[in-house]
Amino acid sequence: MPTHLSMKTQEMLNKISGIQTIESIKSALKINKRKAIYLIHSLRKKGYITTKQGPNHIRIYNISIENALGGVSYIDIINKYSPVKLSSSEVYKIYGREVSIEETIIFALKTRKLRYIIASLALFRRIKDWNEIYRLAKKNNLIREVGALYDLVQVIIPRVKKMPKFYLHYSLPKKASEFLYIIPHLKSRDYSLIENKWRIHIPFNKNDLEEYNYDINK
Amino acid sequence: MISINEQKNLLVTLGNKLPKQITTYAIGGTAMMFLGFKESTKDIDLVFTSSEERNLFKKTAESFGYNEMDSVIVYGVKNNRPMMINLGNSRFDLFLMDVIDFTFSPSMQERAEQVHHFGKNLIIRIADKHDIILMKCATNRARDEEDIINIVKISDINWNILIEEAKKQVKLGRETAFLEMGELIEKLISKYKLNISKKIGDKFYTLLKEQAEKKKKNYDKKV
Repeated sequence: MPTHLSMKTQEMLNKISGIQTIESIKSALKINKRKAIYLIHSLRKKGYITTKQGPNHIRIYNISIENALGGVSYIDIINKYSPVKLSSSEVYKIYGREVSIEETIIFALKTRKLRYIIASLALFRRIKDWNEIYRLAKKNNLIREVGALYDLVQVIIPRVKKMPKFYLHYSLPKKASEFLYIIPHLKSRDYSLIENKWRIHIPFNKNDLEEYNYDINK
Repeated sequence: MISINEQKNLLVTLGNKLPKQITTYAIGGTAMMFLGFKESTKDIDLVFTSSEERNLFKKTAESFGYNEMDSVIVYGVKNNRPMMINLGNSRFDLFLMDVIDFTFSPSMQERAEQVHHFGKNLIIRIADKHDIILMKCATNRARDEEDIINIVKISDINWNILIEEAKKQVKLGRETAFLEMGELIEKLISKYKLNISKKIGDKFYTLLKEQAEKKKKNYDKKV
């Protein structure tokens, strides 16, 4: 196996890395369809290509050397389950184990980014291991944040199970507890009941959650 | 040689065996593989920021049969040589903060944006391409030059990052940073005919001159 990618391969990959179709590869490299198909075949053999079916049965290729490594990112998990899609140039890949819904929620909260947190709300209804989420939330000082957002999810998404009693018992703050921000300086106009219950400022209003008006069975 | 997939499997195995979570930084060939510059590497170069974590990693690798080897064989008698362990065709070079003549500075750590999490407990951050050049400039092994050329030819290099980092390295006490970078640029231009502005090499030599003058002034003051 050669140590380096050949300069020609590397330059070619630079030109076509990212989302492509047969037609766009043909134009980018100024080659005919037959050559483009052969190129896709050889890059797929190396593991550089993942394929998705686009509209009108067009094949859409995601070309990147990183694809050869496989792995999953938290963003992949969020995008799999959430109607709010994320796109990021940040690379955080996980290999050799399944990434749980519980740790993905904690990841999203830890970023303190508004869109990440809104997108992660869809994952709350899939929490299976409450002990795990309690353990992770406690480790990251996010117990009240998780509780408040779960209550919010019960409001915006139908048929979400009740929070287990043990979580409520160990997590609900005392009335005199100081209010905490999930995202500094952001608080809600619409969810004051939940905010007061958990002494947490929720960083969005009803309008910000429009993408959650979807059929839950989809 | 170890391929990107073999490397991944190895790191996953180690990550699952580590008793607690540790974070380390990949430099050299390993980082180049993650950044898409290479398909295989001879060794896995990691920089640790704590000796406790480095020892834990080494102990875990040893439980799989890795043996310690003498780093003088590869690095000669240079300072800040890594701890080296090998098994079959895979070898780990485990540095602690310093990589020969360079310190893995806080700004280098910040620039290492890509994160790869192997198994349960091994988090590897990938050094930025600019810092890979600096490190390779420091280790100066036979194949390092080839790697530097590959990075410079294929990607866009912001030479200002290298100039600023070299300044930081000198402040951290790594006195040879300007000299080594100046020599490297000169070689890349004259020997390998790379399209790099001569001004960049001159900048390093100007900084080197200033560094020498400053040193002389300090000596004169003492006298």
